[in-house]
Amino acid sequence: MKNFSHLLIKEIKELINKQLVISLILILVIFNFIGSVTKSEMKKSLAKQKIAVLDLDKSEISKNIIGALNMANFIIEEKSGEKDQVMKEVRRSDLDLLVVIPPGFGQEISNLRPAEVETFSFLRGISMSGSRKSEVVKALLQTTNEFLSNEYLKKQLPNIDPKVLKSPIKSREFIVVRDKVAEGSSSVVIGSLYAQSFILPVILMMIIMYSSQMVITAIAMEKQNKTLETLLTVPVSRSSVVMAKMLAAGIVGLISAAIYMYGFRSAFNFSSGDIAKAMSGVTPILKQLGLVINTQGYVLFGLSLFLTILVALSLATVLGVLAEDYRTAQSLNVPLVFLVLVPYFISLFADLNTMSLPAKILVLAIPFSHPFFALQNIMFGHLNLLWLGIIYNFLFMLAMLYWTVKIFSTDRVLTMKLKWGKKKVVL
Amino acid sequence: MGVVLEVQDLKKRYGSLEALKGVSFKVEEGEIFGLIGPNGAGKTTTLRIIATLLTPTDGRVTFMGYDLKKHPEKFREHISYLPEEAGAYRNMKGIDYLNFMAKFYAKDEEEVKEFVRRAEKISGLGLRLKDKVGTYSKGMTRKLLLARALMTKPALAILDEPTSGLDVINSLEVREMIKDFTKEGVSVLLSSHNMLEVEFLSDRVALIDRGVILDSGTPQALKEKYQASNLEIVFRSAVQ
Repeated sequence: MKNFSHLLIKEIKELINKQLVISLILILVIFNFIGSVTKSEMKKSLAKQKIAVLDLDKSEISKNIIGALNMANFIIEEKSGEKDQVMKEVRRSDLDLLVVIPPGFGQEISNLRPAEVETFSFLRGISMSGSRKSEVVKALLQTTNEFLSNEYLKKQLPNIDPKVLKSPIKSREFIVVRDKVAEGSSSVVIGSLYAQSFILPVILMMIIMYSSQMVITAIAMEKQNKTLETLLTVPVSRSSVVMAKMLAAGIVGLISAAIYMYGFRSAFNFSSGDIAKAMSGVTPILKQLGLVINTQGYVLFGLSLFLTILVALSLATVLGVLAEDYRTAQSLNVPLVFLVLVPYFISLFADLNTMSLPAKILVLAIPFSHPFFALQNIMFGHLNLLWLGIIYNFLFMLAMLYWTVKIFSTDRVLTMKLKWGKKKVVL
Repeated sequence: MGVVLEVQDLKKRYGSLEALKGVSFKVEEGEIFGLIGPNGAGKTTTLRIIATLLTPTDGRVTFMGYDLKKHPEKFREHISYLPEEAGAYRNMKGIDYLNFMAKFYAKDEEEVKEFVRRAEKISGLGLRLKDKVGTYSKGMTRKLLLARALMTKPALAILDEPTSGLDVINSLEVREMIKDFTKEGVSVLLSSHNMLEVEFLSDRVALIDRGVILDSGTPQALKEKYQASNLEIVFRSAVQ
């Protein structure tokens, strides 16, 4: 035990080197920069927007529309003169949007004929606030349209509610999960579940990728620096050497992933508050449908995740033995990354349950797939599939650990190489 | 003097390649035993087997009465191995590396300090031990590693090409370090393709070629037997 902790400390110290610390600091700085730029753009798009309006109609209705724009978070800069001249003027200014109300607009509306309003968006780059302006104007015009048509219908058919006339059919949506039924929109429920679990696959992917990268690099560096042979002749069991490397990589991988996720969250403005806000209206529906994960569910998910990390670490250890140096270690990590990316993308864009059986078997044969689908399986009661994944990963991990320790206990730790051509042996 | 290490009919096969074809020799307590032979003769394979890095295909190795196959951990407790192309952790300071290695062998903190003090003396690196290993020259790294191998006073130090890649001055210093070390009564098994170096260092030598021991004895006895002025000529005569 003394030798194991001694080895573990050395491994952690080796992994937390200057390069790793600098790269993690850089990640934080970059994410922070992205976050502050995104936040300021969001702020800009939500702030009062300054727009130019050229009213060539000067009717009561056009004045009402300008009044409504004024009320709706816009600072109106009214223009006068010829349209072409005003466009040139706006182009030279910092205004991004020009609304032109053509002559005869009010007359057309009064005569119940469709009238046009022209909006000119001046693109000076690609930004969130630029795209939002025209969308807001469109929404405003839609509201104005609604208002005008309702007024007209009220005049013509005073005893009928215009809403009933325009939408005679109303729908009530119900969601069914197994034997439970709740009233609500399925898209809203799926959206909220997605928002709640969106971050999870990213975290998962980062932990697995970081940890496996760490352990492959640790072994490859021992080989590159010619320290492995000496380490294997000291009075410490080979399993301790393997376990210390794996545990150290797991710990440092976890810390790195946590720092990465902290930066990621600050860059993309995720906070538990945001998620809670998004969930607040849907939570009663989720509870009614049994889509809330309890403590037992989280324990099962944790177990699935833990076993998957161990599988990744043991697989990476074997790959590390094959590596001759740091450079080959990098390329050996690529297949492992792909094995993580496949279930990651499938969990984001596809439904495992609707996949064909061979495709499903293929996906579930990848040990990294199981935690990606674990939460879904818990929520939708596919516990058999969840347990199958846990048992599969446990057996896979045992086999890999056995193989890894076996490799470290034999000549293969020194002679195994992923090399094309003849094997080189030092006599 | 008692026998510390006994190698009997040692064989090692890498696929179709027979690296060792039945190597036998004994190392006695307090002596320097040299394995000499050209590149590819089987020296490194023999040393790696004794250092528990490789498993023999056949044959027997006993060390202080322990059988290699049954008690490899006993070998690791009492031997110290210096591989030909060994390195140290580049991000560690020299002193930290010695501390790290000493802790595997020491019973307590006091003994760790004792080992490190001895290593400081053997290496002669002085204040440079406080620098990171990554900043060391090849000669300095080799001295550090040799000090690491000898600091615990192992019952048997296995040194594979101890002066490999070193310049004349550093080679001389390393040879002196090895000579001084055996004055304290411990045994050394070393290999080299530099036969003059082995002649200078060893009490007894074995000539190895293509996985077979051709002859063994004291350098003087071998020179007399083959009527040669040095071991290089002895080796050439033995091969013929």
